[in-house]
Amino acid sequence: MKLEIIRETLKNKSLKKEFALITNLINGESEIFFPGYNLSEMFSKYSEEIEKIFNSNKNGIIENSEIFVQTYKNPIKVIVVGAVDISIYLIDFAKNLNFEITIVDPRGYFASKERFPDTKIINKWPNEAFDEIETNSSTALVTLTHDPKIDDPALQYALKNKFFYIGALGSKKTHEKRCSRLIGAGFKNVDLEKINGPIGIKLGGKSPSEIALSIISQLVSEKYKNKI
Amino acid sequence: MSNFPEKKIFEEADNWIKNNKKVSLATVVQTWGSSPLGIGSRMIVSEDGNFLGSVSGGCVEAKVIEECISLMKNKKICKKIDFNVSNENAWEIGLACGGDILIYIEEIKQ
Repeated sequence: MKLEIIRETLKNKSLKKEFALITNLINGESEIFFPGYNLSEMFSKYSEEIEKIFNSNKNGIIENSEIFVQTYKNPIKVIVVGAVDISIYLIDFAKNLNFEITIVDPRGYFASKERFPDTKIINKWPNEAFDEIETNSSTALVTLTHDPKIDDPALQYALKNKFFYIGALGSKKTHEKRCSRLIGAGFKNVDLEKINGPIGIKLGGKSPSEIALSIISQLVSEKYKNKI
Repeated sequence: MSNFPEKKIFEEADNWIKNNKKVSLATVVQTWGSSPLGIGSRMIVSEDGNFLGSVSGGCVEAKVIEECISLMKNKKICKKIDFNVSNENAWEIGLACGGDILIYIEEIKQ
């Protein structure tokens, strides 16, 4: 592999492009594959197989060949409603787990650049914030304010848009109240089952960093369960 | 900002080469049975034995480092190394998990 290809890979990742790095295992030649673009002669006859591996988010050698494909997709988008202490730790954990966090909080004191350097912050109510965020069924939502005014609209949006993960902070009692509000808003019990509440896996911890760890662990586990 | 797994490895490879070091890249290209790390796990090795990243979580790294150094010394382009439990050497190297992994090593060319 040429150093140039490694530099191109870093550049494409920082530009948030999705691509595959292809290597001929016989001669060490590598090339970058972008869906829809032609490859050089050495690799072009494998285009279909390369695309297949790329589309299934996998890495591997193409069958009966010496061509290795490594897929680079964008990190999973996690929208965190509430610029609270737990969010600071969540951002820290997410960094090396290929999640990309966006913070939404209409409260200016909480969602400040000083508290969240290097993080995308939307200082708006969830309904307005979602106009600015592209979401799909590979997006996750974590609500942390336990203020129904802020959390509920975000939960409703995530349920309607079929996010792969929805988690809401709050005790069992808080969650019961939340569920009855959502039922009142027209949601069904099957919808409510999609909300992880109380949020996170059972670790037993109580501190903000421990709660963040239990949330991020649940996110990783759900990512694999849902094959995202 | 989110880091993709190889970010640090690729950035460091660039740095080492800028400092006139020869650097090899090792990649897990195939696995059979239980393997400690998945396909696509990478590691870089400099000619003086410095390394970053991982291809097996510690089981076969020492052997991979040796192979990378000898690849660069002998000016070879690339090599595939199969670590298999049925291979007696594998036990010495210590792939204790019972898996089988194919590692591809290549020198990063300027």
